[in-house]
Amino acid sequence: MESSERLPRESLLWIFAAQFAALLPQFAILPLWIVGAWGFAVYWRLEVFRGRRDLPGRQVKLLAVLLSVAGLALSYRQWFALEPMVALLAVSFTLKNLELANRRDAFLSLLLSYFVAATLFVFEQTIPYAVYGVACVLIITAALAAQMGSHSAGPRRALGLSVRLLAQAVPLMVVLFIAAPRLGPLWAVPQNSDGASTGISDSMSPGDFSELSQSDDPALRIAFDGPVPPPEQRYWRGLVYSDFDGRRWSQGTGVDHREGGRVYWRASGRALPEVGPRYRYRVIQEATNSPWLFAMARPDSTTDGVGETADDRLLKRKPVYSRFAYEVRSWPRETFSDVAPLTDFERRRNLQLPPGGNERTRRWAASFRDSGLDAEGISRRILQFYNRSFVYTLKPPALGGDTVDEFLFGTQQGFCEHFAGSYVFAMRAAGVPARVVAGYQGGEWVAQEEYLLVRQYDAHAWAEIWTRERGWQRVDPTAAVSPERIREGLQRAAADEFMQDSLLPLHRISFLKQLRLEWDMINYRWYRAVIGFDSEQQEDVLQQLLGEISPLRLAILLLLPLAAVLLGVLVWLWWSGRGRRAPLSSRLYRRFCRRLARAGLERRPGETPRDFARRVREQRPQLGPMAARITAAFEKAAYGDDPAAEKQLRRLLNRFQLSKIK
Amino acid sequence: MQKIISAIVADIGKVLLGKEHQVKLALACLLSRGHLLIEDLPGMGKTTLAHALAQVLGLSYKRVQFTSDMLPADILGVSIFERDSGEFRFHEGPVFSQLLLADEINRSSPKTQSALLEAMEERQVSIDGETRRLPEPFFVIATQNPLHQSGTFALPESQLDRFLMRISLGYPTREAERALFQGVDPRAQLQRLKPRVDIAALQKMQGLVGQVKASDSLLDYVERLVLHTRQSPECAVGLSPRGALALLHAARAWALIHGRGHLLPEDIQAVLPTVAGHRLQGEGGDGSQLVERLMHQVDVIAA
Repeated sequence: MESSERLPRESLLWIFAAQFAALLPQFAILPLWIVGAWGFAVYWRLEVFRGRRDLPGRQVKLLAVLLSVAGLALSYRQWFALEPMVALLAVSFTLKNLELANRRDAFLSLLLSYFVAATLFVFEQTIPYAVYGVACVLIITAALAAQMGSHSAGPRRALGLSVRLLAQAVPLMVVLFIAAPRLGPLWAVPQNSDGASTGISDSMSPGDFSELSQSDDPALRIAFDGPVPPPEQRYWRGLVYSDFDGRRWSQGTGVDHREGGRVYWRASGRALPEVGPRYRYRVIQEATNSPWLFAMARPDSTTDGVGETADDRLLKRKPVYSRFAYEVRSWPRETFSDVAPLTDFERRRNLQLPPGGNERTRRWAASFRDSGLDAEGISRRILQFYNRSFVYTLKPPALGGDTVDEFLFGTQQGFCEHFAGSYVFAMRAAGVPARVVAGYQGGEWVAQEEYLLVRQYDAHAWAEIWTRERGWQRVDPTAAVSPERIREGLQRAAADEFMQDSLLPLHRISFLKQLRLEWDMINYRWYRAVIGFDSEQQEDVLQQLLGEISPLRLAILLLLPLAAVLLGVLVWLWWSGRGRRAPLSSRLYRRFCRRLARAGLERRPGETPRDFARRVREQRPQLGPMAARITAAFEKAAYGDDPAAEKQLRRLLNRFQLSKIK
Repeated sequence: MQKIISAIVADIGKVLLGKEHQVKLALACLLSRGHLLIEDLPGMGKTTLAHALAQVLGLSYKRVQFTSDMLPADILGVSIFERDSGEFRFHEGPVFSQLLLADEINRSSPKTQSALLEAMEERQVSIDGETRRLPEPFFVIATQNPLHQSGTFALPESQLDRFLMRISLGYPTREAERALFQGVDPRAQLQRLKPRVDIAALQKMQGLVGQVKASDSLLDYVERLVLHTRQSPECAVGLSPRGALALLHAARAWALIHGRGHLLPEDIQAVLPTVAGHRLQGEGGDGSQLVERLMHQVDVIAA
C-alpha cells in the first residue's frame, strides 16, 4: 500500500485523462469489451487509491492477461493483422493500470499513451483525426508535466506548460517532416481485408449502381498537369466485366491478376506510342479495400506498385486500404495506329453468353446480323432503339428471370447498368465482341483548387465493342437515352430522384453544398501537402530548396535552422544578460587585463587589482611601474569616485601598448 | 590618527607576538562596534589579546569564565536587599564593563548564553523591570574551544550571527615563538602597557568608520559576493542582509585602520573570512573553505 500512495490523486486523474484521450478513437474501432476492460482497470485503481482494495496479486493479474488474450483470440480469428495488434497494444495498456504503483509506472503508461495515440493514424489520416491527435499529445504531455507534483498538476499550469513545450517542438517537427527520410515499411502487417469494399465491386448486378448513386462521398480527386478533358471524355475506367451469367456481370476467370491475369508492373512492359500523352494527371483515390484504380484509356503509370492490365486498366499490387495517389499519363485510343487482332481466347470471352434465356433479345440481335449490317451499324440500330422509348431513372422496376428481355421489351426503364448490360448482351448476340466497363464518369470541377472531384454517385457503367478497323472503342448507351447524364452529371439528369432517400436533402441547399465543397478542398490540400508527402515529393521539395540533393546540403538544411535557433537564444541571452553595463573604469581595467593575459599574465577572478599589480611586478619587473600606475589610477577611478582618474586611466592605457610588453 | 592606530597595533604586538593581522581584525571589530568571537585552543593568547586591547584602549576590563552552572544573574547582576538602608540595591554583574571577555562561552547553558547575547545586541539589560544601559563603548570578546565539545552547548547559528567576526589566532610563527622564549614575560609586559587613547577619541574613531566611502564599483562587488553565496549550490545558507551589512561595516573599519577614506576590494577580502566564515553553511558544515572558494570565484572587477 505504501507504494500505491506515491501516486497522488492529481497524478492518477491526469493519467486516466491521457489514457481516455488516447483510447477514445480506438473504442470505435476495437471490440467493445476492451472499453469495459479499461473501465474496470480504472475502477480498480481508483479503489486502490481510496484504500478499499489492494493492487491485484499475481494470480488476478495472470487471470486478467489470460482473459484478455482469450478475448482477443475470440474477437479476431487472425493474429498477424493490424487490428489485432492495435487491440493487443490497447489491452496491455489498459492492464497496466492494475500495476500503476509509482512514478516510474506512471511515466511508462504515459509514454505508451503517445504510442497508442499514434496508432490512430494507421486507420485514419484525415484532418479531424489529425487535430484530435494533436489534442491527444497535448493532454498526454500535460499529464507528464503534472507528474512533477501537486504544484504543477493544476490543469491550467500543466496544459500551459504542455502548449509551450509543443510550440517549441514545432520548428523541429517541420524540419523533420521535410527532411527525415521516408522509409518504406520495414515489415508489412496485413491490414484487415475483411472490411467491406466501397465503391464499385468486381461484379455488377441490377441495382448495384443505383445504390452507389445514393452516396455523395468523394471517390477520386484528380489534378491535371496540362489540359483538362472535356466532360464527355471523362470516363474513369476501373473494371471490365466480360462474363455474364444471365443476371450478373463479372470479370470472369483469369482476368484478375491474382488469378494469373497478365499485368505489366513496369513502365517498360508495354510499348508506348511515340507521340506524347494527351493527359497527365494525378489521381488521389479514397480507400476502397480493392486493388483497382481509375484512369482514362489508355493509361500508363510510373507510380510504384501500379501496373497496367491487358484491357487498359490500372491495378495496384495491394488493395487500396488508405488514400492512395498515383500519377497517370493517358493516350486516347486513336493515337494507337496499329490495331492488334483479337486473340481467339479474347474473342470467345467477349462473345460469351449464357447457354439459354433472353431468347427474344437473341433473335432481335440476330436479325441485325442477318441483315448484313456491320458492327457499327448494329450498334447504331440498338442505340436508336434506346433513344426512341427508353426512360433513364434511378428507380427502375424490378426485373424477373430474363433480365435483358424484360428490360428491352418490357419495362424500358433503367439505369446505366441496365443500358450497358443489355447493350453488350445484344451486341454479343449479334456476333460483335463487346464488354461492360465500370468506373466513374464525369466529376465536379473545383475551380479554386483546380482539381476534379469525382463522387460515388458518379459511378457509371458503359460498353466497349471491338471492330477490326479500330479495335476497342467506347460506346455509352446511357448517352443515347440521357445525354445530360454524360455532360452534366447525375444530379442534373435525374434531378427528382437524385439522393431522394437521404435523410436530409442537404444537397438541395446550395450554401451547404458550397460548404461541403470548401471542406473537400481543404481535405484535398491536406492530403496533397501532408499525407501525400512521400519520398518523391520530398525529393522535389528538397530539390527546390537545395538545388541538388547531397549529404552536405542536406546537413546544411538540417543544421541551418538549428544554428538560427541557437543564435537567437544566444542573442536573447546576451540581450537579457546585458542588463547594466559595467562602469567605464572596470571596462578600461579589463582591457588592461586582457592585454596582460595575452602576454601570459592572467588575472585570476578573485585577485584584487593591487594583488595583481604585485604579481606583475614579481613576474615581469619591467612592467611593474606601469602596472602600479594603472592600478592606482583604476583604484582611484573605481573606488575613490575620482572622475579625473578615469581620464588618466584611459591615457595610461593608450600609452600601454602590447608591443611594450614583449 | 594613523599614527595612533599603528602605535596601538605595535603595543599589542609586543605582548602578542607575530599576530598583527589578528590584532588589526580585532581592532577593526571593535571600531565597527561589533563583538568578537575567538575560536581557538587554550593557551593561544586569547586572554592576552583581550587584556592587551583593554589596556591600550583604556577600557574597563572584566573576565568571566563560563561554566555550566552559571545563571544569567551571574553575568547581568542581581538586586540584593541591604539591611542598612532597608532597600534593594542592584549589584552590577561583569557585563557592566567596557570590554568583557566571556571565556569558553559554550560551557554555559543556553539560558545564560542568550542573556549575554541579548545584552550584546541591545547594549542594555532589563532587570527587575528596570532597564539599565551598558557602558559605552561596549565590546565583548567571547572565546570558544573548538575541541572537547562534550558537556558544552555549541552556539546556534542564530547566536553566531550576533558576533561581527569570528577569528582564530593559530600557532605563532617560529620566529615569533623564539622571540617569545627569549623575551620578557608577556604578563609583565601587559602590566606596562599604557592607554594610547581615551574613550572620547575611541568613540570619535568609531564615528569615522561610517564615513569611509564605498563606491558603486565596490558595492557591485559586495553584491556579487552576496549573490554568489545565495545562488551557489555549495552554500546551503547564503549571506543574510545583516551579514552583508556587517561585511561592509567591518571592511570600512579595516580601511580606516589602513588610513584610507574609501573602500578597496582588498578591505572586503581581508575581513570576508572572519565576517562570513561563521555565517555561511556549506555541505560540510564549516564555512571557512567556502569563503576561500567564494573569494576565488567571484570576480573583483565588474564584467
